[in-house]
Amino acid sequence: MTEELAPRRLFDVARRGWKASPELREGTRATVTLALLGAVGRLVVPILVQQSIDHGLRNGHVRLGLIGVFAACGAVAVVLSAISTRLAIGRLARRAEDALLGLRVRAFSHIHRLGLEDHAEERRGALVARVTSDIEQLSQFFSWGGIVFLVDGSLMVAVIITMGVYDWRLTIIALVAAAPLTIVLRLLQRRLIAGYAKVRDQVSILLTAISEAVMGAAVVRAYRVSARSSQRVVVASEQLRDSHIRAAMYSAMLFPSGEMFSVFTVAAVVVVGVALGPAGGLTAGSLVGFVFLCYRFLDPIAEMTETLDQTQSALAGWRRVLDVLDTPIEINDPMPGRELPHVAPAIIADHLTFAYRPRPGHETSPDTALDDVSFVIAPATSVAVVGATGSGKTTLAKLLTRLADPTSGRLLIGGIDLHDVRFESLRRSLVMVPQDAFLFDASVLENVRFGREDASDDDVRLAFVELGLEAWLDSLPEGVRTRVGERGDLLSVGERQLVSLARAYVANPVCLVLDEATSAVDPATEARLGRALESLARGRTSVTIAHRLTTAARADKILVFDQGRLVETGDHEELLVLGGVYAALHASWLDATVV
Amino acid sequence: MSGSAAAIAAHRDGALRRGAGLVRALVRRHPRPFIRAVLSAAVFGSATVASSWALGRVTDKAIVPRFSTNRIDWGAVLWALAVLIGVGMLRALAVVARRSNASRTQMRVEHSLRLDVIDHYHAQPLGWFDRHPTGELLARAHADAEAATQVLGPLPYASGVVVLLVVSTAWLLVTDITLGLCAVALFPLLVAINVIYQRQVEPAADRAQERIGDVSAVVHESLDGIMVVKAFGAEARETERLAVRARRLRDSQLEVALMRANFEMFLDGVPALATVALVFGGAWRVQSGAMTVGQVVAFVNLFTLLVWPLRLIGFVLGDLPRSLAGHSRIVDLLGGFVPPSALAPIAEAAPGDAATLVGVTFSYEPGRKVLHDLDLVIPAGRTIAVVGATGSGKSTLLSLLAGLHVPDQGTVAVAGGTAHLVFQETFLFAESVRANITLGLEISDGELWDALDAAQASEFVAALPDGVATELGERGVTLSGGQRQRLALARAFVRHPKLLLLDDCTSALDPTTEGRIISALDARRIETTTVMVAARPSTIAVADEVIFIDHGRIVGHAPHRELFDQFASYRHLVEAYERERSERP
Repeated sequence: MTEELAPRRLFDVARRGWKASPELREGTRATVTLALLGAVGRLVVPILVQQSIDHGLRNGHVRLGLIGVFAACGAVAVVLSAISTRLAIGRLARRAEDALLGLRVRAFSHIHRLGLEDHAEERRGALVARVTSDIEQLSQFFSWGGIVFLVDGSLMVAVIITMGVYDWRLTIIALVAAAPLTIVLRLLQRRLIAGYAKVRDQVSILLTAISEAVMGAAVVRAYRVSARSSQRVVVASEQLRDSHIRAAMYSAMLFPSGEMFSVFTVAAVVVVGVALGPAGGLTAGSLVGFVFLCYRFLDPIAEMTETLDQTQSALAGWRRVLDVLDTPIEINDPMPGRELPHVAPAIIADHLTFAYRPRPGHETSPDTALDDVSFVIAPATSVAVVGATGSGKTTLAKLLTRLADPTSGRLLIGGIDLHDVRFESLRRSLVMVPQDAFLFDASVLENVRFGREDASDDDVRLAFVELGLEAWLDSLPEGVRTRVGERGDLLSVGERQLVSLARAYVANPVCLVLDEATSAVDPATEARLGRALESLARGRTSVTIAHRLTTAARADKILVFDQGRLVETGDHEELLVLGGVYAALHASWLDATVV
Repeated sequence: MSGSAAAIAAHRDGALRRGAGLVRALVRRHPRPFIRAVLSAAVFGSATVASSWALGRVTDKAIVPRFSTNRIDWGAVLWALAVLIGVGMLRALAVVARRSNASRTQMRVEHSLRLDVIDHYHAQPLGWFDRHPTGELLARAHADAEAATQVLGPLPYASGVVVLLVVSTAWLLVTDITLGLCAVALFPLLVAINVIYQRQVEPAADRAQERIGDVSAVVHESLDGIMVVKAFGAEARETERLAVRARRLRDSQLEVALMRANFEMFLDGVPALATVALVFGGAWRVQSGAMTVGQVVAFVNLFTLLVWPLRLIGFVLGDLPRSLAGHSRIVDLLGGFVPPSALAPIAEAAPGDAATLVGVTFSYEPGRKVLHDLDLVIPAGRTIAVVGATGSGKSTLLSLLAGLHVPDQGTVAVAGGTAHLVFQETFLFAESVRANITLGLEISDGELWDALDAAQASEFVAALPDGVATELGERGVTLSGGQRQRLALARAFVRHPKLLLLDDCTSALDPTTEGRIISALDARRIETTTVMVAARPSTIAVADEVIFIDHGRIVGHAPHRELFDQFASYRHLVEAYERERSERP
């Protein structure tokens, strides 16, 4: 959707963007000079006509030689200025594309460094748009609107100066006669923008209706509602058609309005010019030349107006990209940071509290996810964290991996405050296996290598062997070279988790944070996963966010969370005896069993 | 001519012929606005020539006499200007008429094409959708319909340009045969520059488009996998992965931009040079008394007016391949087989039976049977669980009972002729809660809330901002998986089906809620027979009988306890479900 920015804001955005892109600023003066020289070429014909009429065609006596000289000069000027324009456009294109490349890469890198809160699922699409469609819109602007502003802007400046040199009175007449055009254009333009905003809305409504007919095909058939589903598309398509026809009507009126005004301007100039006559210092040639200049002056106005819609949406996109670049990075690499020793560490939580910042628009008090939590985990032991959804167990995982910083309290890993550990050391020593075993659209090999870039083919294979997954790996059509598809779609959910474990293994961390997947997998894979997890955790300090009680039962120690508080600690047997939250969870599990 | 050159020429010839065929096929749907657009374009073409002629008259009748005789004939001046203004207005109106009618044609044809595509979709059985990726189907109905009609936008203008060229040439030839002949030579040159440019820029532009796709794929993937990227500290690596593609995109975009700048240089420069030559040639003709100053001015003006319209021919040629491709994809789609009905024929089951299958065999693709020769009788008023490993054919069995697939052999009969299926994955429409449940069925609020109650959904629906009127989906409220499943159940309950088919559709619900829903079903068992795919011990526990499927065959059909004692494979499966049970608070 295009938001309409006030002209002042547009200017602000352009200035901010200008500052943020050093590539764009380079050599501006030369580019504008070339564009102005290029504009001179477009004045050759009016001036040539004027000179020829006044000096060559006087009183029926034609001085062909003189006109020949004029024409030859004119031809040279045309060629030189065409080359100048070409150079100016080339320079603009190069600067703009370099600037957009820089902007795109900087924005992408910045987005990657933003905290997880900024990466919430519902903001994903917006973040993707910052680095893709917003930049593409700017690129389109620089390849049309930007050139129009540069070339036509230079032309208008050159034309007004030339007009003034010919006759200041006629210049004023021409400017006054053309002034109402800007108002008409502005009015039409506003409707045009609104019209196309409506078209875009209708497009998204139509796309929803079409995708429902396709993706909901099963429901549509099972409930025998084809007629209804079809009707929804018909209505959406009709509305799109009608709104598009309406918007096109405004654009149809916008286009020739420049030409309409040029006729009136020319008429006014001719009437005044004829009235002034030779006594007013005019010549036939200068009046005819002036008429040609009027046409040259009005054409660019219409074209510039046509680009305004594009300009607006490009600048709005630019602002969104700049805003992302201004979003503060909350988690920073400490300078100079400390190194974690490469042995399985103890983990100590010291009065940890974490509150999510209130969402914009939801002016409630901050949402406390962890409330004064303290615990100690011995080196090379396995700990399971259990609790209901919203109990704070996932937040704990984020704090442990420094994907978020505690609001208060400290986390010590191997005796060092997590806050002081260099990122590079932290990521090497402590690896998180996220719940969603996300795989890249590449081979198994490349996905595992994501854990450690310099892992050799043998290292990768060894990871599967060590995790007891050799047989599974060999069952793949092309072994480690098997492609996994988009998001790993060619593998089953469970198989994706196997690859994700191998990826963690090859990274060889001393500490693991595992966010257990909730989705059910087939029994054979389930068994493989269980064994692989055990091998992976061996000799390392591991914290598992457990969703299965069987996982918890196997752990050396269980931390039970309830509404952000650590309520119970102990091993499986102890907690059952205790008869608290954990025992209740266990009982409801046994209850639902039929065997 | 070499063989390959001949082949290219033949191909080009074919493309033009195909282009004409495409235009005929498109315009036939809505000929009136198209004819209006073409006529307006012809008026525009003629008025463009006339406006230059009028400017020449202004020069000859108003300006030149004033300065050569120093006398003002206001009558002649105003008359000449009136003609200039009149022609200018006519030209502007013709532009408005041409553009609005051209887009009217384009939008109407696009709409008609799209409706044909959508009708085709709705006529297809469910299995057809498995063979066609969603993205492809969306593209046919939207992007391809748009691309197919793209050429209709500039086409009337281009035909007006042809009129413009013919009238200009005739006028030039009549006024002065020498200048006329020069102009005749120039027009094809300008058209040729345009055509060459279009040919050249197209592959480069396609490449740039492809690279935009590459960049966006990396961005999507990298942000989708942000947890993994962060977990391994791979931010810098990912940025470099993007930068490589972004640099390639920059190179492509720049290539296109520079190509265009080169072309613009010729397209502006050549007519300007021609105009300069025209001034000289005109002066020479004025000297010999063959032309007036006004006529030279008129020709100079005409040349400057021609530059832009000549580009239109290039635009049409540029749009043509894309339109042809889009249209032929749609034609291929519409030419595909359309079965008499999108649903399978279902017989009426014998009284006392909820459903019967006799000798049913089914395969999604030839040679790979999913169900083998099934015979099954489901008595009315019972609750049946279907149990089997992944891929054993449970869901397929249910979809056959619902008439979504046609069996290869055998017959399906269902009480009342229709069953209602609740899917494993809930599909909700971007409409209100109410519309999602009724799907057009006319029911009272009381009936609606009864269904919501039974599906354990009334509590959360009542808490939604607008209750049952709350809009769902992208522009509305987002529901959790469990909430979505409950709405899907309500959608089935409100129809009071004789046979209700549940395809593991309570997977996102906690055992307590699931239990309540099952009791609600139990209360309805006199009117509704329930067949449910079960992957949870608790669901299996409530069933009167269990159908155990393995590799597309019914292995056993008996109460749970009997199957458990009788079949080791059944026992293993149920025990695996036990182990896998998720902890649910």
